[in-house]
Amino acid sequence: MRRVRLRVWVVAVPMAALAVATIYPLVFTANVAMKTRHDYILDRFSLTSSLFWDNIATAWTSVGLGRYFANSVIVVASAVALLLLIGSMAGFALSHLRFRGSRALFLCFLAALFIPFQVIMVPLARVMADSGLMDTYPGLILAYVAQFLPFTIFLMTSYYSGIPGEIMDAARIDGNTTYGVYRRIMLPIGRPALLSVGILNALFCWNDVLISLLMMPSPEHRTLMVGVTSLRGQYSDDIPTFASGVLIAALPVLVLYLFFQRQIADGITAGATKG
Amino acid sequence: MPLRGSPSSVRPADSGRTDKTQAGQRTRRTDPGVPAPRGISGQRAERLAPYILLAPAIAIVVAFRLVPLLMGVNFSFTGDGERDGTAVGLDNYAELFRDPLFRTALENVGLLVLLLPVAVAIPGLLATFIYLRVPGHRIHRSVYFFPAVLSPVLVGAIFNLLLAFDGPLNAALGNTGIDPVDWLGDPDIAMFTVVGVHVWATFGMALVVFLAGFSTLDATLLDAARVDGASLPQVIWHVIVPGLSRTLQFVFVTTMIGMLTSMFGLLYVMTSGGPEGATYLPEYYIWVQQGEMNRPALASAASTVLFLLMLVVGLAQIALLRRAGREH
Amino acid sequence: MKRRALWAAVLVAAMTLSGCGSAGSGSSSDSADDKLVVWDWKTGEESAASYIKQAKADFAEKHPDVKVEFVAQPFDQYYTLLGTAIQSGKGPDVMLFNGGGEIRDRTDALLPLDDYVAKDRKRLAGWEAFTAQGRVYAAPVTLQGHPVYYNKSLYKDAGLDPEEPATTWREFLDDCKAIAEKTKASCLSLGNKEGIGIQFFLSGLGPGVLTPQEYDDWIAGKRDWNSPHVRQIFELWKEAEDVGLNNDGANSTALFNDAFARFQSGEAAHIVGLMSDVGHWKDFSEFLDPDDIGVMRAPLVNSEADPALPYDGGIGYGVAEWTKKPKLAADLVRSLTSKDALKAFYADAGAVASDTTLDVSGGGQALTTIVSEIKTGKPALHVALSSKTLDLMGRLSQQILSGSTSVDDALRKLADSDQKG
Repeated sequence: MRRVRLRVWVVAVPMAALAVATIYPLVFTANVAMKTRHDYILDRFSLTSSLFWDNIATAWTSVGLGRYFANSVIVVASAVALLLLIGSMAGFALSHLRFRGSRALFLCFLAALFIPFQVIMVPLARVMADSGLMDTYPGLILAYVAQFLPFTIFLMTSYYSGIPGEIMDAARIDGNTTYGVYRRIMLPIGRPALLSVGILNALFCWNDVLISLLMMPSPEHRTLMVGVTSLRGQYSDDIPTFASGVLIAALPVLVLYLFFQRQIADGITAGATKG
Repeated sequence: MPLRGSPSSVRPADSGRTDKTQAGQRTRRTDPGVPAPRGISGQRAERLAPYILLAPAIAIVVAFRLVPLLMGVNFSFTGDGERDGTAVGLDNYAELFRDPLFRTALENVGLLVLLLPVAVAIPGLLATFIYLRVPGHRIHRSVYFFPAVLSPVLVGAIFNLLLAFDGPLNAALGNTGIDPVDWLGDPDIAMFTVVGVHVWATFGMALVVFLAGFSTLDATLLDAARVDGASLPQVIWHVIVPGLSRTLQFVFVTTMIGMLTSMFGLLYVMTSGGPEGATYLPEYYIWVQQGEMNRPALASAASTVLFLLMLVVGLAQIALLRRAGREH
Repeated sequence: MKRRALWAAVLVAAMTLSGCGSAGSGSSSDSADDKLVVWDWKTGEESAASYIKQAKADFAEKHPDVKVEFVAQPFDQYYTLLGTAIQSGKGPDVMLFNGGGEIRDRTDALLPLDDYVAKDRKRLAGWEAFTAQGRVYAAPVTLQGHPVYYNKSLYKDAGLDPEEPATTWREFLDDCKAIAEKTKASCLSLGNKEGIGIQFFLSGLGPGVLTPQEYDDWIAGKRDWNSPHVRQIFELWKEAEDVGLNNDGANSTALFNDAFARFQSGEAAHIVGLMSDVGHWKDFSEFLDPDDIGVMRAPLVNSEADPALPYDGGIGYGVAEWTKKPKLAADLVRSLTSKDALKAFYADAGAVASDTTLDVSGGGQALTTIVSEIKTGKPALHVALSSKTLDLMGRLSQQILSGSTSVDDALRKLADSDQKG
């Protein structure tokens, strides 16, 4: 169906080259993670001669990444679930419902998107401390939701705006309330967008260091990336251990993406038939 | 195939909602012709539906973004160090605009805005080719996301090695007879180098958004264009760009935000704002003032300027793209 | 119908509230009376484990029922986190600082320790870097300084006497010429990407330029940026680049740790290095034969100069002004600088500890030379400058190297910044 004739190889060859280039850093990281610090300093690029699993073990045990891993999963999963729910409700309302102030509200969310985290960093810490949310899981989850909600709403609104209004009308004629339309039509139709924004949000939250450091001061509440980052001291040149930590941290997101990426591209038809 | 609606339905709408004429005709909730939701309380629930759906979003954004924003802006009018806590009026702002480093940072923002179309076009084109099923599209779709999952600190460290003056890239150039380039040490080049690495490290995210956008694109239009014998650039310009105008808008805005607020990790590792201060960006400036220089109030003023700047540039972008969308 | 509305309301309520139930403990600042919280960026490192263990044991002996919690923060975010803690008045009881500008800029948030650490004053060195307006705000753990290291095996390759390094700048230039002719190594290893190369150059080679009087004046704050000798330091900086003493691409070479790696792998004959943490005797000896690592005095540029080892307190622990347990916290600081703890730190982490009574004879020739000069050493030139001036100096030094600014222009701007600060 979609075959538009193109001089295929003019595009395919550079794209394949790019694919190799995008795999390279991961390969490089894996290679470095297998080296000893000594070997790394002497020669950074050569293929590792040994499989030095100690780095992975050191990264995992020395700062207790296991505990941090669990923290990250709890916080990121909750934050992403909330983001998708709240974001899709808001996106649906802003794109398909007519009400007073809808445009102004959309602009407000848009404006919130432009707030650099640095400007609200200190006041946010104070708000969290005053409301007793500092150093709690709900506090960090809420901080993430607040940070990435404008982005999520923007994406969901854009996406839903591309869905024709007829679908909603048809559902209404079938006797659905607005909530029913949201739950039975918009949520399933939104799958590709929900999946992609979900993956991006998961990636943002998972890789975040600063918000987590600020909101979760005590060591037992730390998240994975904070743990990985603290593998690098002031002057530390133990890149192999750091690379191992990065590898440990990157794998879950990678797996998540590989698992869902087909559905992002193919999802709309699946969503439509199910809806 | 209920979703492959009429061609007009994928045309960009001209407001934050669906196409007004359609929405006006077809989604009149108070229209007696449409079967009314049942019961009086049901009617009230229906009337309030938009607000109820939006309530959690509003509550969270107000409490954890807008309120802190106002507190932060307020803080920018107070002093640092010995003048901690006292009102100093616009002193911080005056100091900012006198600081040549901050001016460089603002100039670099201008440069980034100019580079923005390139940063959007790259994932856009790649997504288009993947959508058009270029050979290997399944693999590409998977691996293009890989760099995005690595920490910027590590990506920066890897590129530091590759781009070192005596590194492999210059060695390769030397083999072809080109003089070595000081990618990270030449103030005229370093900013482009860092932006290039940033784009490389993040295009996978925009790609994901584009792919989601493509799933709302009407495939019959493409087929029609093909039957008419349209060339690839024509297809992109007349079918894909208008069909994805909202996605494009979104990618433009978020890519800009990414460039202005999340290049910190790369800057820190790759250039530390150098050489000669040439790669300073406002966010790096804010970071240095906040931490190293211990000037939190000055940092707040710089953040406020950055916020206003992004707001203006972002809204201007949206207006521009919307107008361009209408012309199609 | 009704059920649906209710369902929606419950859903919304659940979502808005889901975050609000509280869990976990309070913030570290509210810690109970029997607990002290320490922030640093060291304890995460394996090599510091025995140091912390010793310090904890020492403290537990005095206060068996007080719990101590060490929180290792990532260094990149350390001072930003500390800034947030300071602004909200909530944070750790004890915290680690770099000596010099970092601590002097933040004395408002710190408790003067003079009365608590009086007994340690003689045993430990490096107090000046943690002193502001005549009061001590932290106790030094390590000493940080800038010896000039050289590679004896490269000296041999170049036909130079490895035991007789140059004593004057002229001889130094001749030696460099010999090294350039006979080996592939550069004479100096310079990393100025972060703008730190100039700091090391100033502190490492400046003592060979300034007269003792000028040196002391500089440290005391009477800095004459227009004096011929200060100008000479910056002219040397330019000359070193112009006559090819440095490696290529110094402005894109990171001092941490690319420049050190160059020296370690024998690609450069000299480097102004460090005494603690990294880029020092222990680090180098991992790759070079310990006997091949030499330490030399700054070559004399002016005969009136009398170079001494430039060093200061490296890192030290201070007590937060807001702590409810100042006495306990100060005792913890004393444990963290106790002899046994510092001995462990020296042995495992490769640091010149602040304790002058430690026996370091097993650390190799380079270390022995360094330690023997601690008594006569002086504070390093760059440590006396404010963070802002150092930042500016970094940028200007890069411009001097690339030729986009002149020494005169740079000195004028530096004088301006220094006077303001």
